[in-house]
Amino acid sequence: MKGTSRVLIALCLIASCFFALPVMAADKPVKVALVLAGFLGDKSFNDSAYQGLERAMTDFDVELKVMESKNPADWESNLVAMAAAGYDLVLACSTQIAEIVGSHAADFPDVKFGVIDGAIKAPNVKSIVFAQNEGSFLAGAAAALFTTRSEIEGVNDKKIIGWVGGMDIPVLHDFLVGYEQGAKFIDPEMRVLVSFAGTFNDPLKGKELTLAQYDQGADIVMNVASNTGNGILEAAHEAGKFAIGVDLDQDGIYPGHILTSMLKRVDVASYELVKDVVDGTFKGDTVVEMGIASGGVSLTDMSVMKEALGDRFPQELLDKIGELTEQVRSGAIKVDAYEGFRRN
Amino acid sequence: MFDDLSLVFNYTLFRATLRASTPILYATLTCILTQQADILNVGVEGIMLCGAFTAVAVSYFSGSWLLALLAAVAVGTVIAAVMALAHLRYKADIFVVGMAVNMLALALTRFLLQKVLGTSGSFYDRAIVPLPRIHLALLDGNEVLRSLFNDYSLFEPLGILLVFFLSWLLYRTVWGLRLRSVGLNPLAAETAGIPVFRRKFEVMLYSGVVGGMAGAYLSLGYSRLFAENMTNGRGFMGVAAMFFGGGDPIRSWIGCLIFGFTDSIGSRLQSLGLPPQFILMIPYVATISILALAMGRKMAAQRRARSALK
Repeated sequence: MKGTSRVLIALCLIASCFFALPVMAADKPVKVALVLAGFLGDKSFNDSAYQGLERAMTDFDVELKVMESKNPADWESNLVAMAAAGYDLVLACSTQIAEIVGSHAADFPDVKFGVIDGAIKAPNVKSIVFAQNEGSFLAGAAAALFTTRSEIEGVNDKKIIGWVGGMDIPVLHDFLVGYEQGAKFIDPEMRVLVSFAGTFNDPLKGKELTLAQYDQGADIVMNVASNTGNGILEAAHEAGKFAIGVDLDQDGIYPGHILTSMLKRVDVASYELVKDVVDGTFKGDTVVEMGIASGGVSLTDMSVMKEALGDRFPQELLDKIGELTEQVRSGAIKVDAYEGFRRN
Repeated sequence: MFDDLSLVFNYTLFRATLRASTPILYATLTCILTQQADILNVGVEGIMLCGAFTAVAVSYFSGSWLLALLAAVAVGTVIAAVMALAHLRYKADIFVVGMAVNMLALALTRFLLQKVLGTSGSFYDRAIVPLPRIHLALLDGNEVLRSLFNDYSLFEPLGILLVFFLSWLLYRTVWGLRLRSVGLNPLAAETAGIPVFRRKFEVMLYSGVVGGMAGAYLSLGYSRLFAENMTNGRGFMGVAAMFFGGGDPIRSWIGCLIFGFTDSIGSRLQSLGLPPQFILMIPYVATISILALAMGRKMAAQRRARSALK
């Protein structure tokens, strides 16, 4: 009796495997690997990419693997390992990793590569670049409009604003060119202090550089520095001054100290790339540019700052930013781009 | 041009120099103690990193900076005790032990950051309670006075007091005299009846206490977060400053101030448009120059000593 039931169960199991197998093959999850030039937890660029993939995981059957490292020597091996391990889509999320994709894409013709923040042309690579210069133009204008409002506590009347970046790489210069143009558009006498921390992963360095800029008369500093930027925002909070966030909505990290954030919708980019692969519409050899017009970059609505400042919040600043946004969208204002940053 | 210079050299530089030199100062004090007993504590970087992580984690979960500080000190002491055991009891090379601690600390804090605090890269949260700041309400009125003297983190003035305390301890007490004799000539000290092993072990433990404080200051005073490898060479700069001062607390402190000063000047020059590649080099160039200076002085002293013997 015991023996026969055991055989029966075994037979049932084998039979169920035969039934289940074709079903499983049909819904085989899409395997996606995200290769980062840094770490999650930056509440900025990397986290934004991850948010898009989280959304993709709820909408589609996706299996995700994230490779984090701040060590440039690891990036190439991480990328190649993921491509060799049979992932359907390998997302290279950073300019620095984009270049590595350029040299390895041909070795893995069956793997699809998505590149964010770099333009790589190959039959199995789709790239998405952002018009961060346009978004930064608005951020620079907002900073310039804000820095002379000395009726707000912590703001002096000097026409000096700051900007602190991570590594000295082309995409950051693209931010910077727009920021400076936006500031000078509001007031040609506006002075922009610029510092690079030389790393995306040293918040203490970011804090020190930001405090130095505050000492030099800046009262608002834009953060373009991933993890290093956590120190920039902390400096604003500690010194009772102001900062502008980047990539994700960072307004709420230190409410009342972050005027606005320049949103760079990396999440939309990563989501769209996965969707392309799931739908089978992935097209290689393409570079998509996401600017103000396509909703790829924008400023936040400053609602957190508005609530913190109450009726001292300069409403005309917000109105002017709305106006400028329209002008950039319609092409009435042409924002300069950094020539060293490849867009196609 | 003068306008630009006044943006670099003004009264706020004083505060910036003190702020930037304090983490290095604590690292220096950590190795001064052991150096006087002829142990080169290169593990200071690792001790600091573990202390910094412990401080942030305990502060976050308990909401008390005092508990956080005590925990960081405890962790620092334990690591130092392990190093002392390996070096003194089992005769391992202190340099190798120190480097092992540094590498272990880097990997261990990274691992624990993920397992305990559930994040990678860096961790910050409003629930982290920082070390208190000394706020003097009567200085609030004046912008200059406020910048110069107000709102110091508890550990900044404490570090300076510690310099003078250590200097007194090493050069004005019997304990200090005996400790230095252990460092200068252990055989003679042993003959004189000084327990060399116990003294060296004891001083390693004290060095762990200061190292733990250094870490707690880095993550709860200097900032309010933990980041992977947040010491970023500050421990080694502390070792360099210790060599610059030849193990003397006050002279080594001057070395730390030079580091802090060059770092602050660098931060300011960069924002005025000097190439960042050049400015970011400054701390390293300063380290090499300071060590070269110290070496030159040491050689001159040796030459003088030789000629006096003739």
